[in-house]
Amino acid sequence: MLSFILKRVGQSILVLLITGLVAFSMFTFVGDPIDNMLGQERTMEDVERLREQLGLDQPFVVQYYRFLEQAVQGNFGVSYRQGRPVAEILLERAPATLELAAVSGVLAIAFGIALGVFTAIRRNGIAANVIMSASLIGVSLPTFLIGILLIYLFSVELGWLPSFGRGETVDLGGWTTGFLTVSGLKALILPSITLGLYQMTLIMRLVRSEMLEVLRQDYVRFAKARGLSDRVINFRHALKNTMVPVITVIGLQLGSIIAFAIITETVFQWPGVGLLFINAIQFVDIPVMAAYLMLISVMFVGINLLVDILYAFIDPRLRVAA
Amino acid sequence: MLRYSTALAMMLALPAAAEDFSFAVTTDPQTMDPHAVNSAPVLGFLNNVYEGLVRRGKDMSIEPSLAVSWEPIGEGSGWRFHLREGVKFQDGADFNADDVIFSYQRASSEEADTSSWFAPVSEVVKVDDYTVDIMTTAPNPIFPDSIANWMMMDSGWAEANGAARPDKEQGNFATLNANGTGAFQLVSREPDLKTVLEPYDGWWDTAEHNLTRVEMTPIQNSATALAALLSGDVDFIDPVPIQDVARLKQNPDVQVIQGIEARVIMLGFDQKEGAAESGQGGADMFLDARAREAVAHAINVPAILQTIMRGNAEVASQLVSPAMRGFSKSNAAPYSYDVDAARSLAQEAGLTDQTISFKCPNDRYLNDEAVCQAVTAMLAQAGMTVSLDTMPVSNYWPELRANNFDMYLLGWSPGTLDAEHPIRFLAATPNAEARLGSWNFGGYSNARVDELLPKIQSEIDDTARQSMLDEVAGTLQDEVAYVPLYVQPLVWGARAGIELTQRPDNFFILRWVTVN
Repeated sequence: MLSFILKRVGQSILVLLITGLVAFSMFTFVGDPIDNMLGQERTMEDVERLREQLGLDQPFVVQYYRFLEQAVQGNFGVSYRQGRPVAEILLERAPATLELAAVSGVLAIAFGIALGVFTAIRRNGIAANVIMSASLIGVSLPTFLIGILLIYLFSVELGWLPSFGRGETVDLGGWTTGFLTVSGLKALILPSITLGLYQMTLIMRLVRSEMLEVLRQDYVRFAKARGLSDRVINFRHALKNTMVPVITVIGLQLGSIIAFAIITETVFQWPGVGLLFINAIQFVDIPVMAAYLMLISVMFVGINLLVDILYAFIDPRLRVAA
Repeated sequence: MLRYSTALAMMLALPAAAEDFSFAVTTDPQTMDPHAVNSAPVLGFLNNVYEGLVRRGKDMSIEPSLAVSWEPIGEGSGWRFHLREGVKFQDGADFNADDVIFSYQRASSEEADTSSWFAPVSEVVKVDDYTVDIMTTAPNPIFPDSIANWMMMDSGWAEANGAARPDKEQGNFATLNANGTGAFQLVSREPDLKTVLEPYDGWWDTAEHNLTRVEMTPIQNSATALAALLSGDVDFIDPVPIQDVARLKQNPDVQVIQGIEARVIMLGFDQKEGAAESGQGGADMFLDARAREAVAHAINVPAILQTIMRGNAEVASQLVSPAMRGFSKSNAAPYSYDVDAARSLAQEAGLTDQTISFKCPNDRYLNDEAVCQAVTAMLAQAGMTVSLDTMPVSNYWPELRANNFDMYLLGWSPGTLDAEHPIRFLAATPNAEARLGSWNFGGYSNARVDELLPKIQSEIDDTARQSMLDEVAGTLQDEVAYVPLYVQPLVWGARAGIELTQRPDNFFILRWVTVN
């Protein structure tokens, strides 16, 4: 078992290193940060001097090595754009993204499961069919369009909700939260719907099809024959058996909610790490881009590693194969 | 109005007073240090907090600020500035000649991005506590014009906080904090999120504005910014996307403020000799002035402005707009649009059997990519083959530096608002040591222009100076050094009932804002 885990950890580290290498090789194509850092009246000498100072005259492999060397010591460098340590900026921005992701995740799971069960039980009803058709919108419309439509309707036309930002936040020892103020909660509504809509429809459709499958099983028929009420059959017996694959998918989707919050954050000017990343790309803020990409890959690799290890605990055959 | 105040109240979670003002900008100022980054978002914003010896008025004219008066010393060996007495920095310290000396040392240091402003300065001498002599190596008639953005910092404050020199790579105390003498003081600064200003009670001048609190939020997405303005979450946005102007004008709750920016958009050409340098095929094609003239006559600028800019811009005839000092009135006629002439010139110059490699940014100037596409189509009508390559600006400058172009698009906004500025940066023969021609990517070179430039820089007499500027403008036009296209429009959006002043340098000056 230990050798299995060690092997998996080793593989994960390798994946991380390769991701970083690919990321650094891409930075050359994003552009040159120097022009953004110097003003109109710079000379070519200033350009060369700063490039040398930042180590940008080195090949990307060397730049990557230097980044790793610093990163293992917990130093992610200083943002070219803001002139502040990247780690500080990321920590400052993380709460916004995590809160948004958490609310979207909860909304997606709650509404996804509820609507999935509903459409499965009443699969011929009008309401269920309307919901199923409407869910196509969630799957097919691009996120930024949904965001803009929501802003137009609820902020511009109705004036109920703020069009951008996080509202007032409360600082709880380094963690800024929007949960404790009215404006913070209001500001969460539109972005979390935008971000969670796709996951919600995904979960809903998955729950529905799994549920329909389960409802055809023999034990459901026997339960009916025993005279159990519909409520007990649907929620105690059928739903429980539906949840196994659903939970796996939810777990995998949680990572992508955080990683793909970028578009939602851009549309709503949500001050999270995704928006930070987009701004970093525009400015070619290499330290911020590198740290963000490494963070996201650590997250994904971490989730996968955990899943692998959990599977191995559950299924002994995997241990033998390894 | 009701919707407006509810929305604002929601945002601030407290009853909104009318004088609470919030505005959105596209680019957050990188720093609060007035000497660390020489860019419009930084200097424009900090003009509300810090002040210079002189400042620009609503019509861009130079007026006294921290200096009450100034006069040339002798036969142009420098300028004497008489400082305003009784001015206090926002932390309570007195402003005097020592702060001017300190600010000179700081802003002209190697760590500063503003050091080029002080290239003509030989030394700064304190005469007494309220008199300072700024000596120049050569007579410099426009020196007071060139330092309107040179902001005064308190020496004591900077030294006490370890910010005696700017540090744009690592940042320091002055990156996030400010202590100026201006009409507003920095209350809180969260980079990229929110910056809050409040009026400074001890300001020496009388306040024209009626603001009590100002909040600046960067919003990068233009659709989001527009929605924020329409929903009343912000009171002002800059810029308004050109394509939304007409629709916005229909809305009684908002106003659109339009003007002409100082920025001239032009085409540049590779005029360096030697084919091997150029990245792509037909190098040297624009060495022939007829080839450049062919391009000039082939482009129908009014049509571009009518369609792409929706009638919001003006045709340009030279490297500066008519609002700038030193604009040449005798050369105010733009190139005529004449496809036949363009076609025959292109044939004579042998341009028609080559492919012109045309580089263009797609996120730097207003609708830049669309303009380049139109230019490409218009050149095709005159028989020229153009291969257009558009890219984000962060890839664009390296491409130009690597000389991978035959033709390129450039916008130039003269920092000094004077016609000498583009000559120095765009028309002078590139010379790194003399800090000349640093944006002259095409390598245009004319001995007479190089000879006139230092004379223009040191000529005290306005008429003589203007006649030299006229000569240079005429030469650049005759030789088609660049093809000026248009002056970029400025489009701001604000809630109805807000009074403000739009200046061609696109600085949003808060002390002229009143909320009704």
